[in-house]
Amino acid sequence: MSAEEKFDVIIIGAGPAGSACAYILARAGKNVLMVERGSSPGSKNVTGGRLYTYALEMVEPGLYKQAPLQRRVVREQIMMLGENSAVNIDYVNYDFGEDVPQSYTVLRAPFDEWFANEAEKQGAFVASGILVDGLIEENGKIVGIKAGEDEMYADVVVAADGVNSFIAQKAGLRPDIPAHTLGIGVKEIIELPDEIIAARFNLQGDQGAAKVAIGCSDGIAGGAFIYTNKGSISLGLVLNPEQVGQKGRSIQEILQDFKMHPAILPLLEGGKTVEYGAHLVPEQGYQGVPSRLYRDGLLVVGDAAGFVINTGTIIRGIDLAIISGAAAANAILNSIEGTHAGPLYMEELQKLALLPTMKMFAGWHSIISIPRMYKEYPELANDVMRFMFTVDGQVPEKMSKAMMNIAKRHVAVKQMLGDGWKLFKSV
Amino acid sequence: MGKVIACYKWVPDEADIKINSDHTIDLSKAKWKISDYDKNAIEAAVQAAQVLEGKAVSLTFGGANAKSSLKDALSRGPDEACWINSDLASEADGFVTATVLAAAVRKMEDVSLVICAEGASDTYARQITPRLGAELDWPVITSVSNISINGNTIRAERQLDDCIQTVEAELPAVISVLPEVNDAPLPSLKAVIAASKKPVTELGDKDLGITDLTSKTRVQSQKAYVMIRKNIIFTEGDALDQVKELVGNLKKEGIL
Ligand SMILES: Cc1cc2nc3c(=O)[nH]c(=O)nc-3n(C[C@H](O)[C@H](O)[C@H](O)COP(=O)(O)OP(=O)(O)OC[C@H]3O[C@@H](n4cnc5c(N)ncnc54)[C@H](O)[C@@H]3O)c2cc1C
Repeated sequence: MSAEEKFDVIIIGAGPAGSACAYILARAGKNVLMVERGSSPGSKNVTGGRLYTYALEMVEPGLYKQAPLQRRVVREQIMMLGENSAVNIDYVNYDFGEDVPQSYTVLRAPFDEWFANEAEKQGAFVASGILVDGLIEENGKIVGIKAGEDEMYADVVVAADGVNSFIAQKAGLRPDIPAHTLGIGVKEIIELPDEIIAARFNLQGDQGAAKVAIGCSDGIAGGAFIYTNKGSISLGLVLNPEQVGQKGRSIQEILQDFKMHPAILPLLEGGKTVEYGAHLVPEQGYQGVPSRLYRDGLLVVGDAAGFVINTGTIIRGIDLAIISGAAAANAILNSIEGTHAGPLYMEELQKLALLPTMKMFAGWHSIISIPRMYKEYPELANDVMRFMFTVDGQVPEKMSKAMMNIAKRHVAVKQMLGDGWKLFKSV
Repeated sequence: MGKVIACYKWVPDEADIKINSDHTIDLSKAKWKISDYDKNAIEAAVQAAQVLEGKAVSLTFGGANAKSSLKDALSRGPDEACWINSDLASEADGFVTATVLAAAVRKMEDVSLVICAEGASDTYARQITPRLGAELDWPVITSVSNISINGNTIRAERQLDDCIQTVEAELPAVISVLPEVNDAPLPSLKAVIAASKKPVTELGDKDLGITDLTSKTRVQSQKAYVMIRKNIIFTEGDALDQVKELVGNLKKEGIL
C-alpha cells in the first residue's frame, strides 16, 4: 500500500455530520478524505429547514456567522388544523438569536456546500461524485473503503452516510431498517418576495418564523412544517410511510391538501415552487439508536446512528449530526491512530450531552405514536374554540357540559385518560 | 511525443436556468459545470494521448469562476491543465475565443492534436473548431464519431445526416467530436485524488501577446421563446374518426 492510498481518516458522506468531523480532524492536522456521492456536497440534500447554531459553536466559535443562514427564528408557531379552521399558538421572543444564537432557517444545498468547503479550507480532501459501495475488512477490523474499482485505506472510517446507512448495515451494526421506524419527508421550496413573507408571517428584517402543524395528514401519524427563508419558504410534511400505504393515498396528494387548506393557502399564494424533494427521517428517537455505534476501525455518526429527535413540535437532526461528528473527531484525536476510538466516541457522546438529550426525549416516540394526535385531538381543539367564540343569540350550553360533549364526540373518555397518562409518563 | 489538447468551456448548468416572467434569463442560482459535450472531448484527448504516447492537456478560457473546473477536468484523466483566466471570456464571441485558444496552443509547443466538442452546451455556436484550425493553419475535421491514429495520420469518421464519411489528415490537426465518440466515464476515487496533485498553468489574456481581442459580434439580448400551442381538441365523431382526424392534421403539419 503506497502513501497515496492511505489517509488517517476517511469520512463517508458530506452532510453536516461528515463535514463537522472532517473540519475538526483537518484543523488538528489529520490527513482526512471525505467522500460524497452527490456531484457536490448538498446536491443530494433536500431536507430540513432550521439549524440550532449552538452545534456549530462546538465545532468552531463564531463559525456560524459565516454560514449561509437564512432567517433568525424569533417566532414559533404551532397550528392545529380542523376541516375548515385552525387553532394557532404563536410564541414570539425577540431575544431569540440576539445573545444566545438559537436557531436559524437554512437551505441545505448551500449550507452543506459551504460547510464542506470550510472543512476543505482546514485541509480536508473532499472527493465528490463518488459512491462508496463497500468497506475493506482485515482481521475483523475496518481498514478502508471501496468505491467502484478503487480501494482506499485509513486508520479509521467514519460512516456519516445518513439515514438508512448502507455502511452501518454493511458493517453489521444495523439490521435492515424496517419501514415503521422511519418517517418519509417531502419538502418544497416556494419562492416569495421578502416583503410578502415579512407581512404574512409578521416579521421584520432578518427575523424568521417556524411553524409546525398537525391535523393535516388525514389521520396519518405525522405533521407539517413551514420555515421562512430569504426570498422563499420551505414547506413540507413528515409522515409514517406504512400508514400512508394503508390509507391508499399518495404523499403528494396529502401535501397538496395541506397547501390548499384555507389557513395555509394565503401564506403561499402567488409563490412559485422551485424545488421539490423527498427524504427519510429516523423516527424512533432514542429507541432507534443501534446498540453499537462502532466497530474496530469504524464509527457511525449523524442520521446513520439514528440521532434525530422529533417531538412533533421540534425536529432536531442537523445539530445532533454536527455534535456527533464533533464527538467522533474528538475521539479519534484522543486515540492513538484510531485504536479504541469506539469507546472514546461513546464517552464523547455523553460529554457533549448528545446521548443524555436523546434519552431525555426517549418518551416522545410513544406520544407521537398515539394515533389520535393527528386527527381527533386537533379537531377537538378546533371544536372547543368554535364553542368559545360562537355568539348566536341563543342561550349557550353550560361550559363544563359543552366541553365534555365536545370531548366525547371525538375521543372516548377511557382513551383520553389513557393518552393523558401516557403523556404524563413519557414527558 | 506530441501533446493532445482538450478544449472545454465552463458553463451554467441548464437544469438550473430560470426564466423570468418577462422571458429574461436568470442565471443567478445556476451551478456551473464542464459543458457535457466537452467531457467526451476530454476523454477523446486522454485516449489519443495514450496512442501518441504524449501528454493530454485540458485547456479552458474562462473567468475567475472557471477555477473550480480545473480539478474536475483533471479528474477525467488529462496530465495537466491550462486555464486562461480572463474577464473577457464571458462576452467573448467565436473570434475572441478561437484567437485566445490558438495563442495558448502555440505557446504550449509540440502539440499534435486539438480536440473540441462540436459545440458548447450553452451557446452551441459551432465556431471554435473551424476558427481554431484557420488560426493555426491546421487541417480541421468536424462531427467526428470515431478516431484512429496511426503514426502521424489521424483517420476520423464523420457522422453526417444519413451517412458516415471517413477522412484522413496529417497531424497536427484540430477536430471536433460528437458525444458518440466515446462514453466519457465518471471519474473514479483515485482519479479525483490524483487530480489535486497534477500541474495547472494559469495565464492571463495579456500573457498571450494578442493585439486584437474585441468581439466582432455583440449579444443584444437573450430571451426565452414562447411556443404557441394550437390547443385543438378533436371531439367530433367516435374514437376512430377522432384518430383519423388527428393523423390527418399531423400529416398536414408535415409531422408524419
Ligand atoms: C423533510 C425533513 C425535514 C427535516 N427538518 C429538519 C430541521 O428542520 N432541523 C433539523 O435539525 N433536522 C431536520 N431534519 C433532519 C436532518 O435533515 C438530518 O438529521 C441531517 O441531515 C442528518 O445529517 P447527516 O450528516 O447525518 O446526514 P445527511 O445530511 O443525510 O448526509 C449524508 C450524506 O452522505 C452521502 N452519502 C450517503 N451514502 C453515501 C455513500 N455510500 N457514498 C458516499 N456518500 C454517501 C449523501 O449523499 C449525503 O450527502 C429533517 C429531515 C427531513 C427529511
